[in-house]
Amino acid sequence: MLRKEQSDLLTQTGPGTPMGRMFRSYWIPALLADELPENDCPPVRVKLLSERLLAFRDTNGRYGLVDEFCAHRGVSLWFGRNEDCGLRCSYHGWKYDVTGQCVDVPSEPEESGFARKIKLRSYPLVERGGVLWTYMGPAEAQPPLPEWEFITVPPNHTFASKRFQETNWLQAMEGGIDSSHVSFLHRGDLNSDPLFKGARGNQYNLSDARPVFEVVESPGGLYIGARRNAEGGHYYWRITQWVMPSFTMIAPRGNHTVHGHFWIPIDDETCWAWSYDYHPLRELTRAERDAMRDGKGIHVKYVPGTFRPLANKDNDYLIDREAQKAGRTFSGVEGIAMQDASLQESMGPVVDRTKENLVSTDNGIIMARHRLVRAVKALADKGTVPPGFEAAHQKVRSAAVVLPPDVPFTEGAREALIVRPAVAPASV
Amino acid sequence: MSSAAEARYRVQVPNSLPRAIKVIGLDSAGDQVIRQLNAAGWQHAAFFTAVSRHDDLRDLEGRSRSVADEVDAADLVVLIAGPGGHAHAAAAIGEACSRRRVMTTGFVVGVAAASEKELSKTLVQLRPWSLMVVIAHSDDYIADMMTALRA
Repeated sequence: MLRKEQSDLLTQTGPGTPMGRMFRSYWIPALLADELPENDCPPVRVKLLSERLLAFRDTNGRYGLVDEFCAHRGVSLWFGRNEDCGLRCSYHGWKYDVTGQCVDVPSEPEESGFARKIKLRSYPLVERGGVLWTYMGPAEAQPPLPEWEFITVPPNHTFASKRFQETNWLQAMEGGIDSSHVSFLHRGDLNSDPLFKGARGNQYNLSDARPVFEVVESPGGLYIGARRNAEGGHYYWRITQWVMPSFTMIAPRGNHTVHGHFWIPIDDETCWAWSYDYHPLRELTRAERDAMRDGKGIHVKYVPGTFRPLANKDNDYLIDREAQKAGRTFSGVEGIAMQDASLQESMGPVVDRTKENLVSTDNGIIMARHRLVRAVKALADKGTVPPGFEAAHQKVRSAAVVLPPDVPFTEGAREALIVRPAVAPASV
Repeated sequence: MSSAAEARYRVQVPNSLPRAIKVIGLDSAGDQVIRQLNAAGWQHAAFFTAVSRHDDLRDLEGRSRSVADEVDAADLVVLIAGPGGHAHAAAAIGEACSRRRVMTTGFVVGVAAASEKELSKTLVQLRPWSLMVVIAHSDDYIADMMTALRA
């Protein structure tokens, strides 16, 4: 149970809200770089943190993220012409550069300097690891560029996708740290999904459906450890990383890729579910990349030309009751991502947390809320920089390890939980 | 059916009965935490101190209470201890919970300044009897957890 005022505090991220201010403290993923594939290509509408923006790439390859609407009569610049180092409104020809500065008002004499008095709100947009990142906070507090490992490895080692989710960001993120659902909702996928099957660790999962959880505060957020019995009295640990405000990394399996998510608010009722897969030491194989494009693992198939999942609430997520009855899937929905999204969307855009009945195994969710509330208030009241901001908080890894029974996993997996160049992820 | 508009038509009656939560301090660090928690006034939580190595509890007025009776009446037992390995009573209480199939959560408090060795000693005592283990750097988290669990 979460009181309504606390739920509102965490779920509302528009301009001027405390949680919105916190999101505006970080570089957040805005678009895939492929969405702006060449100079002077068509602009792309982007809504983030309840602000309607427009992304474009100018003649010199510079990226811009500006207010979607022309300062003149308020028409959408999405209809504009991207030409000669700027975006020109199709209505009366006003033109803006990537910083939102108006550089031409054809109806006014150039010598009047009128154009210089017009400037749209704009945010920096930077390509890193195939993702375009933006920072929407005050310029004087802009942090260094993001250092997540999946965007710092060579391009052929990494793959990222995004999908539209019709829920508030917190609801989606809480699903990502709710480790206890995996033994039920996703149980059919471990031995069939090409991006998971074959790992030795899968057998620990499948032979013990009731793991014991340990939740430990980390510098940037939380470690969530799921413990199962292994040989010789040892424990098999799967350690998930959550870094504030909305980054997760799931423990790897065998020599498969490492994967995880970002959940980024579009507005208070929808979000982008970003998903990444990478391997620090090797290229992704063609088969892996094809599987990811085909919606396997944590990715999805799309309605063509969109980022909306092909299985969505308008078609009941293509639920297959025969597959459910036969045990091929637990819920009847195919694919890990849509198994999660279908249930999270069924809760409504913003679930009423005053009515929920949490249990002890929900401590990961409870502690994440606790840390978020604390960080939001510290930022609002004292200007305290929130966790997840520092590069050290971003250079982390999830891990799967087997440890003796008396060892705290934070100690036994200490090295495995941070990025170590040229060292493979700890995996079983 | 999952739109914001449809959410207005959800059934608006209570969907659960109160749960009884027994919170037990296993050592001096745990005892300190439960006394602070008790001051907040909870409707469905009761607080106890374990008498080390004995199958016995004390309530905060110092009266003796039976582990078996308290566990019988519990939906959840929360065990709280500091680092250093003084949580000997975890075994007797945990065994009673195990026999009665009562959920247990183990908390390690005061870890910020503790060594891994001290933490390890307490984990060895808590892990066999805790179906959930939490290591929080701030002790005020327990109050948030109890609120979340409707204590």
